Amino acid sequence: MEQALQVIFSATFIAAVLRVTTPILLPALGGLIAELGGVANIALEGIMLTAACAGVLISIATQSEWLGLLAGVAMGVLMALVLAFFHLNLKADIILAAIAINILASGGTIFVVFLLTGDKGSTSALVSKQMPFVEIPIIKDIPLIGPIVSGQNLLTYVAFIAVALVSVFLYRTRAGIHLRAVGENLEAARSVGINVRAQQYLALALSGLLAALGGVYLSMGYVKFFARDMTAGRGFIALAAIFLGGKTPLGTMIAALVFGAAEALSVQLGNLRVPNQLVQMIPYVATLVALVVYALVQRQRAIARQRKFRQTQAV
Amino acid sequence: MRNITKIYPNGVLADNDVTFEVRAGEIHALVGENGAGKSTLMKILYGMERPTSGQIFLRGKPVTIHTPHEAIALGIGMVHQNFMLVPSFTIAENIVLGAEPLRGAFVDKRAAIAATTRLAQQYGLTVDPEAIVDAVPVGMRQRVEILKALYRGADVLILDEPTAVLTPQETHELFTAIRQLVNAGKTVIFISHKLREVMEISDRISVMRDARMVGTIDKRDADEHLLAKMMVGREVFLNIEKPPVQRGPVVLKVRNLEYATEAGVEALKHVSFNVYAGEILGIAGVEGNGQTELVEVIAGLRAPLSGVIELDGKSIAGLTPRGVRQAGVAHIPEDRLTNGVALASSIQENLIVDRYEREPFTRGGLMRPAEIERNAEALIEQYAIRAPDGTLPVGSLSGGNMQKVVVARELSSRPKLLIAAQPTRGVDIGATEFMHEQLVKARNAGVAILLVSADLSEVMSLSDRLAVMHDGRIVAIFPDTRGLTEEEVGLYMLGTKTMTQAEIERNW
Amino acid sequence: MQATLPTTPSFDRAAERARVQQERRRSAMIDVFVTLGTIALALLIGFLVMLIVGKDPILAYASLLSGPLSRSIRTGRWIEDATTLIILGLSVSIPFRARQFSLGAQGQMFMAAMVAAVVAIYLPMPPVVAVLLPLVAAMIVGFLVGLLPGLMKAYLNANEIVSTLMLNAVIVLLYDFLLTNVFTPPGSQSLRSELIQPNSMLLRFTPLVGVNLGRANLAVLFAAILVFAVWVLLNRTPFGYEIRTIGANEKFARYGGINTRRTIAWSFAIGGAIAAVAGVHLVLGVHQRLIPGIAAGLGFEGIVVALLARNNPLLIPVTGLFYSYLRVGGDIMEQEAAVGAEIVQVIQAVIILLLTAQVLVDYVKARNQRVREA
Repeated sequence: MEQALQVIFSATFIAAVLRVTTPILLPALGGLIAELGGVANIALEGIMLTAACAGVLISIATQSEWLGLLAGVAMGVLMALVLAFFHLNLKADIILAAIAINILASGGTIFVVFLLTGDKGSTSALVSKQMPFVEIPIIKDIPLIGPIVSGQNLLTYVAFIAVALVSVFLYRTRAGIHLRAVGENLEAARSVGINVRAQQYLALALSGLLAALGGVYLSMGYVKFFARDMTAGRGFIALAAIFLGGKTPLGTMIAALVFGAAEALSVQLGNLRVPNQLVQMIPYVATLVALVVYALVQRQRAIARQRKFRQTQAV
Repeated sequence: MRNITKIYPNGVLADNDVTFEVRAGEIHALVGENGAGKSTLMKILYGMERPTSGQIFLRGKPVTIHTPHEAIALGIGMVHQNFMLVPSFTIAENIVLGAEPLRGAFVDKRAAIAATTRLAQQYGLTVDPEAIVDAVPVGMRQRVEILKALYRGADVLILDEPTAVLTPQETHELFTAIRQLVNAGKTVIFISHKLREVMEISDRISVMRDARMVGTIDKRDADEHLLAKMMVGREVFLNIEKPPVQRGPVVLKVRNLEYATEAGVEALKHVSFNVYAGEILGIAGVEGNGQTELVEVIAGLRAPLSGVIELDGKSIAGLTPRGVRQAGVAHIPEDRLTNGVALASSIQENLIVDRYEREPFTRGGLMRPAEIERNAEALIEQYAIRAPDGTLPVGSLSGGNMQKVVVARELSSRPKLLIAAQPTRGVDIGATEFMHEQLVKARNAGVAILLVSADLSEVMSLSDRLAVMHDGRIVAIFPDTRGLTEEEVGLYMLGTKTMTQAEIERNW
Repeated sequence: MQATLPTTPSFDRAAERARVQQERRRSAMIDVFVTLGTIALALLIGFLVMLIVGKDPILAYASLLSGPLSRSIRTGRWIEDATTLIILGLSVSIPFRARQFSLGAQGQMFMAAMVAAVVAIYLPMPPVVAVLLPLVAAMIVGFLVGLLPGLMKAYLNANEIVSTLMLNAVIVLLYDFLLTNVFTPPGSQSLRSELIQPNSMLLRFTPLVGVNLGRANLAVLFAAILVFAVWVLLNRTPFGYEIRTIGANEKFARYGGINTRRTIAWSFAIGGAIAAVAGVHLVLGVHQRLIPGIAAGLGFEGIVVALLARNNPLLIPVTGLFYSYLRVGGDIMEQEAAVGAEIVQVIQAVIILLLTAQVLVDYVKARNQRVREA
């Protein structure tokens, strides 16, 4: 137990939390934009997977991490646009269409990897590139903070900067405000001349972009290869983070950090000879518990509001 | 608008060669039954629908309007019947939505507030720019809608049934504002089916029927009877005939009923009244003053905080919807076409939702299709539901026939108490007559009827007794609706007048 | 005041009814046509994909489309896989009919496999009982595993997609953990449990018919019984009425007096109990022991089967047979033509996308209408 506590309060642990939060936070922010635009995107998982795969394959082919990043992001946005096309133009149920996208991503990536490498498991036999890790001058020398804040992968910084950017986009820019108006009252938005379909395309494309960054981080930052189904449910945990975060960028970030901490903890405890599978369960159980707790808290609040009304009545 | 024809993809002919002309600076009323094509015509003018054929001229020049955006650019604004507002945004944000002032790359919220304040003063339409729309009253929301159109530079304002949700006093204020707008050089198109209001406010009146334009007349040549005749093509009896009330014992007893929504809004405050067998108790009030909550609490759809609800002396407070129904309550809900039927389910299945698990429809755990069919065939015949086959989805019926499905199911449950919420909202004159007949018939057969309606003339002419709700309270109960005037009831609806507790209790 | 209704003489009910019924038959024909067309289109897309990546699509499709019938053992694999998929499709169709997107079948199968194996390995039982007891135990557990997200959705409004996926992950990890640390006998070379007792093994067809049908077994009967049972449940019981009405309009169901929360929770739970039968089939019929990832990758297959059948239990055997034919054919294709079997997943995704694209179906119907009128 003491050992465990030591682990939790160390700088390396917090740095690890940031590392594992990144591939949850990025798709969660993407999913948040889609959710607020009224087009819940449960294809985040599949989008991440295709982006992770495309990024690695292109980086192998070109030996350029930047072209890999570009390819990954392009692929992710493309998948999101396919979803948007089927939902918005062809009126497909967005949940079933997203399930199809996830299946397509899972099967398609393995198919392509097998085709190119003859190996179904991963691309680790080939040399792929990684996004750079950034040492921040001055800060890196500050004790405690240095090892946490400095030396992270570029995309980790992008993820946390994205929280601010997404906030500004959603609440301060015309496009973001229109997007939220569409999500909240589609008819109202349409009646003032907002192009509803364009806004929802934008929402899904942005969610694809951010999820793709999360996918690229997984295969070109967190590790340096693509493995089958390597997203391992992060796209769905991201969904949970959106709901837990009360559908705000800041709340989503906090929820993503909670999940990240749970996952980092599982890795650390794994080193302490706690059975691997049990520790790996932590984030999933945490999500389940969080779903229940969140709902119960909401209900308690509602009951409290009703009670408050009754008390004021009594007075 | 010249020779406008609109055929929807499903083959419905909404407008048939309609020509409609509005002069600058006038108040032009467009009247007609639901489904007569007036809304479609206005949607075409506002760019929300495209005409199948025909042309629109603005100030003499032909124009094409394919989106609301283009309509706005041409100076056409529309205030929709169901408000087109974003509830979580502030009033200023709603007013500038779609045309936000920018400062650099960002939306300038201060400029939005300033513009709102300026417009509001200019046209005498008071609003609080920084209030969240969700939290302001209906009257203010409507002013926001008008300001929204004005902010976009509208010269022509289309108002779609603007008075449906207002008290007589608020309507009066609205009319003052409309006159002020016209004085400022605006043109107003006023859609309505309340003929009295049409006569009060408009300069000219156009009447539509069955997708055609019947004609346009000056107000001074018109009267209510003429307009009604033009609307339906036959004489309409605007008054409801019913035999004198034969009041029986108390069926529904409500005492000190309290309810707060999950958001903590106090919706019902110490509500008390009785409904007797064989009478219609009307509940008048501006929408949003607790009527919806009252109905849903009695029907078991919401749980009361405290208070007594008794049916024939037995408590039904807090029961499930099924429990309430089995105690003898039937309920015609206000949003019938969304909640009163399942569009994708068959007519047969829609007609048994309150009784499917009982004999004769279920025996020994299995349902019996023959009985379900027999039930449907009998009701289709008895209520003249125009349906070729009971296995068809309800969604394939016309709106009026869907209403009949609801009414047939609810009345055939042989209720002791019938709750009818907004029974004629969104319904044309033919279906309104049908609904009124059914309610009176049930009343004459001894059913206790609780009628909630925002249509003051309807609730006053149908009811035997009338209660008025304001701000979650019963503020008046009139023992007899004869001799009451709408103006007087309006004062109670607004909350400016309240009966004393003793007076109300005397009339329970 | 007279309360008679305006009757419309122009309305000839018998003629209308005939017209409507004809219309309906035509519409059903179009649905079949659209489904077949979708499958053909998806196969064509797969064909083009292979062509583009430089594989021989004709060779590949020859083994994909004839493979399952080319040898009896492959036919056995087809029957075995179809049994699982049909049961899974039935399981999914129940919550889907109530418009609940329960994706929990994967976890329910793993859990059921574990429970059935524990009973069948460790508890000595006479014949018949040795099959029924593990089955019942697994179904009860499957029921409970389904009930949990069902209750969370019905009473707490927790997103069922997230909750079922999380639960799947937890159960799969638990399965892995128990298989590694508990079920695998000490000193065993590979990661697998002991065999179940012979009394618990479902009878295989091979000794019965004298042709090698591999592991195909009597669980086919379970599937057949379930098809009928689910049809009765959905179409002839009050519970089925409740499920269908909630699926059509939940607010209406509540207004009409249906206990929507209880029904929603039960729809998850019954789906779970049926998915458990698929898990039992895997343990008692197919593998006769626990192996790693015993039900891996089956999670979304039931959805496709149910979706192709439009959640109609009587059509699920057809779509289940079809889809498992593709799956088994895909494996054979991989062996014979070196094209990854995952192309089948791609084809599957295309089928879902096209079938859910409402506009395409409407377009075909509208076109058909115009052609007839012209």
